[in-house]
Amino acid sequence: MLRRPPMWRRRGGTFAALAAFFTVAIMFFGIGGASALAVPTAPTDVKGKTFAIATDTTFAPFEFRDGSGELVGIDMDLLRAIATEQGFQVDIKSLGFDAALQAVQSNQVAGVIAGMSITDERKKVFDFSEPYFDSGVQMAVAKDNEDIKTYKDLKGKTVVAKRGSEGETFANSIKDEYGFTVKALADSATMYDDVKAGNSVAVFDDYPVLAYGVSQNNGLKIVTAKEQGSSYGFAVNKGQNQDLLKAFDAGLANLKANGEYQKILDKYLAKSEVQEQGGFFQLVKDSFPALMKGLWLTMVATVLSLAIALVLGVVFGFFKVAESRILRGIATTYVAIFRGTPLLVQAFFFYFGLPQMTGQPLSVLAAGVITLSLNAGAYMTEIVRGGIQSVDAGQLEASRSLGLGYVTSMRRVVVPQAIKIMTPSFINQFVITLKDTSLLAVIGFAELTYQGQQIYATNFRTGETLLIVAALYFIVITALTQLSNLVDRKFNK
Amino acid sequence: MSESNAKISVKGLKKSFGANEVLKGLDVDIAEGEVVCVIGPSGSGKSTFLRCLNKLEDISGGTVAVNGFDLTDPKVDLNAVRQNIGMVFQHFNLFPHMTVLQNIMLAPVELKKLDKAAARAKGMELLKRVDLVEKADARPGSLSGGQKQRVAIARALAMNPGIMLFDEATSALDPEMVGEVLQVIRDLAAEGMTMVVVTHEMGFAREVADRVIFMDAGYICEEGTPDAIFSNAQQPRLQEFLAKVL
Repeated sequence: MLRRPPMWRRRGGTFAALAAFFTVAIMFFGIGGASALAVPTAPTDVKGKTFAIATDTTFAPFEFRDGSGELVGIDMDLLRAIATEQGFQVDIKSLGFDAALQAVQSNQVAGVIAGMSITDERKKVFDFSEPYFDSGVQMAVAKDNEDIKTYKDLKGKTVVAKRGSEGETFANSIKDEYGFTVKALADSATMYDDVKAGNSVAVFDDYPVLAYGVSQNNGLKIVTAKEQGSSYGFAVNKGQNQDLLKAFDAGLANLKANGEYQKILDKYLAKSEVQEQGGFFQLVKDSFPALMKGLWLTMVATVLSLAIALVLGVVFGFFKVAESRILRGIATTYVAIFRGTPLLVQAFFFYFGLPQMTGQPLSVLAAGVITLSLNAGAYMTEIVRGGIQSVDAGQLEASRSLGLGYVTSMRRVVVPQAIKIMTPSFINQFVITLKDTSLLAVIGFAELTYQGQQIYATNFRTGETLLIVAALYFIVITALTQLSNLVDRKFNK
Repeated sequence: MSESNAKISVKGLKKSFGANEVLKGLDVDIAEGEVVCVIGPSGSGKSTFLRCLNKLEDISGGTVAVNGFDLTDPKVDLNAVRQNIGMVFQHFNLFPHMTVLQNIMLAPVELKKLDKAAARAKGMELLKRVDLVEKADARPGSLSGGQKQRVAIARALAMNPGIMLFDEATSALDPEMVGEVLQVIRDLAAEGMTMVVVTHEMGFAREVADRVIFMDAGYICEEGTPDAIFSNAQQPRLQEFLAKVL
């Protein structure tokens, strides 16, 4: 659920508009519709068939990866149990919430199970199963807080709720009656930290999320009963895969009858009196594989982006010092756009906005690299321009007066001197771009910061986890900076 | 080819920087082997005039023909023309990232006039001529001003140009180094090189010039033999100028 502000995940309206757009876009461009894995020709049974089912990347306790990287959670266990019970196979695709819904709509997968609320808006484009989970809002306070037991105790206090969630809606609906203030934050882990830090006295959050957190020793306790909320359902594209939907309903009913269903829920939600959390070094050890995976992606994104940015910077940098007014104009416009808008906005645009406009979805790595390279390229352009212009004009004149052409003069005389001048700025940009990759966490790019967020989203040890993440960045950046300086000194004497 | 047999033929040359007209219509013919010294007060347009002769400045009006090639004609291969014109700058403009020898070898090798070995031999020969053989592998940064300018002259000679342009070649030098640079230029003059020398060294101009041009406010104010200019100045402005500098 850290993947994006919850308004995109829980609300029907935004998505429905998006879905409608995509439906039109997909029909218009005729893409993505050809690869349905299982479109039934007759309402026969599903035995022996394999269905591709899309899900979110992380929405604990419904779907998340356990220590070994296995996709687990209520949705996953339930789906697998139903498949076994009904005799079909599932091929689970962890795509992210929005992408999962798009995949169903474009028939790339047969169904979606992703803690998805059944709403009237969504019913227009999807067929839902019977609800398999009833959510609802609960209030929790710090474990050692004995003062807040009911809504009445909140008078004059501040509570926290997830922005755009049912929890926020509910808290706002009763705040005047009980006289408290509601603060909105973006994700569950930070809300819990806010309560533990004493900035807020209580948190309003979805019951399963809260219950899972408590079961993981997040330092909170639940003090109120569940307020009625929405129900989650399994969904297929409207009019498609009806036998799969029927099989899901039948399997769900059987699991409820034989007690399996309750066992799955208890596994994730029952208040376990389990282990206290391990020490800091245990945390380092446990989180290491995931963080290394993240660090690797951070490096991949940095290297790819810088390589492309360097090319962009050189091309547009030369445009900037060109005699042609048109070339200079192109370069100036490019720099103005990408230096004049926030990187975060650019990332959102390339990941969410552009695909809506073109109908061509971009992978998160592609979107991330495009964003970073165009952004860093703008800064590189200025570095290259500055470097070239800082070489004394007499150098080019001397070279031209010898009868050497512009290109040769640049290559042999100006550029070698400019590179020497530019190198410290390049190293600086390299460090900035490496750190900027962390902003791509907001579009769900699984780099280092994102991995850190995923870890504290499930273990609720925000401070320690971020400390480890920061230390990794620091070590890598310091090491690479030293290396760059060494290379600089060696080659740019 | 132009109708005259002049090595350099300038007709109605005008040059403006924005609204500021620096050259207001110059007419000069320079013959093969002639040494022309250009004198005049600061801002009179001497350097700009010189820089128009190899088109380091865009020409605003008139024509400049070198060896019969009109530099204002866009079809003329400027790089080929420039190979035949050596230029020496006030601030040397040596390439700091190359050794002395590499500075000299750059043009012959890049323009494929000589292979590396031949270019090296040529470079060493030129260094011998300016008496700097021992500095072949030094970086320009380690040289004195006079040495730098002698290297710059050697570099300008690397393509065997028929014309040499000197743009206040001794103005940035400490006084004790002026002599060594002037000696090199003097030797070139003695060998019959066609030269245009913008200078503040009046004694030198008087000694080596076949003709002296006095420029003032964008015009050629007076020209003539060194004797005519320095001993028998006609124009009041020239008389005024000489009174100040001599």
